[in-house]
Amino acid sequence: MINKPRVKIPDQIRKGEIIQIKTLVAHEMENGLRRDQAGKVIPRKIINRFTCSFNGKPVFACDLEPALAANPYLVFSVRVDESGVFNFTWTDDDGTVITAEEKAITL
Amino acid sequence: MILARSWIVVGATIAVFAASVLISVGLAPAAPAERAAPLAIDGPAAARPWIRYGGWPNRDTSKFNSLSAIVSPPPPKAPRKIATPLGGDLPGNVGPDLSEIGKAGRDDEWLFNYIYDARVYNPETVMPPWGTHGLLSDSEIGDIVAFLKTLAKPAPFKSALDDPTRRPPPSEQRDNLDPMINPAMWAIEERAPALWNAAGPAGAACVSCHATPEQAFKTWAATMPRWEPRLGKVLGVEEFVARHAKATTGQDWLMESEENIALSTYLRYVANGAPIIVDLDSAPAKAAYERGEALSSRKIGALNFSCADCHSADKGAQKWIRGQWLGELRGQLDHFPTWRTSQQSTWDIRKRFQWCQVAIWADDLPPDASEYGDLELYLAAQNAGQKLSVPGIRH
Repeated sequence: MINKPRVKIPDQIRKGEIIQIKTLVAHEMENGLRRDQAGKVIPRKIINRFTCSFNGKPVFACDLEPALAANPYLVFSVRVDESGVFNFTWTDDDGTVITAEEKAITL
Repeated sequence: MILARSWIVVGATIAVFAASVLISVGLAPAAPAERAAPLAIDGPAAARPWIRYGGWPNRDTSKFNSLSAIVSPPPPKAPRKIATPLGGDLPGNVGPDLSEIGKAGRDDEWLFNYIYDARVYNPETVMPPWGTHGLLSDSEIGDIVAFLKTLAKPAPFKSALDDPTRRPPPSEQRDNLDPMINPAMWAIEERAPALWNAAGPAGAACVSCHATPEQAFKTWAATMPRWEPRLGKVLGVEEFVARHAKATTGQDWLMESEENIALSTYLRYVANGAPIIVDLDSAPAKAAYERGEALSSRKIGALNFSCADCHSADKGAQKWIRGQWLGELRGQLDHFPTWRTSQQSTWDIRKRFQWCQVAIWADDLPPDASEYGDLELYLAAQNAGQKLSVPGIRH
């Protein structure tokens, strides 16, 4: 069962405003250092990259490391000068890319 | 468009335990049931044999009381005679002084017997019977006595937080209904509606009979658990979901399965705001309540604790055990099932019961055990009038 990622963007935005975007993705962020009950290392499986783009241009991206807790919650700020569409992606160690629904904003 | 600033919040966890000191209100009779809902009454509603969850301690506690058996060794009839004075080897001086017991005028024999099994002096004690239950050997107890005799100066607290009498009780401030904060809400928004609409092997889905659950079950979960004459036991929401789904849609949603937790959480969620009010009118319900009350004061496990020892105001409640706050029974039910940040999963009240027992070194029971039904009924009665706020979020 994969839960859809969650994104929060303010409803009303003025041109030039710096807005706060909150994102949350369900992921176990297994850090590769833990052992199972048989003593075997549980392989690392984390979200290692997050990107946010606006109208196709990257506006925020970051690398995520094993020290991050499960269900990474990222908050960042972006200045908005035009109407358009936000896209969000989370990349898993196994290559899977989780994509949030597009978020369109109108100034 | 310019990227201004960015930061990352790594899930903050705050240890919190529900605690409340509201005044108990009387129990009003629940409205009479309309038509009895179909229930599968054959067989258990949870896995058999019950196997404790992976990662939980596996120590053998079968020779101590549990909620279903009384087998703990009895307390000694009188203090033991021991050769005194006792002395330890190479007493350390690394740790801080903890008290002034060393100059309290207690002799070695009294201290030894108090640690071995304090019940010989005080039948009401909550201290584990370290000796009788074999948790400490005679020589280990002797070492502790020798150490205690060295304690003669008051131990200073390093800070105000260090002092349990001044440490503020924890309170939960997070918005438990915000899915950005409480992952248990994801089941409410996505999983539970999907399950509600999914047809089972019998062809029907929940929605076939219950088209508008938000309306139909606005208060139902707050009236659970309830005595069920067809099974001769008290059913909580979780067991009801398992048995009712089996009887109607054919779904096998055993207690503690992911599906059962999602739906049980949902059914309690739609009753949010409804005050807890359980039916104690019938004779068997009253009897179940009384059994639950008795179970809540039965001492169980190697550590020999009862529910009341930690959660009754005249015993351990409203106090700290290590860094953990012990709340009263009242305030322990309205938020279940609850997300546990420390476990990264949603726990229903039965799993919480099970963990209480494992934590005090007692055998847990299957989640559908009738003892848990009695206990949940007693707990719900102690929480009468408290309004559901589900799913909760706790450490």
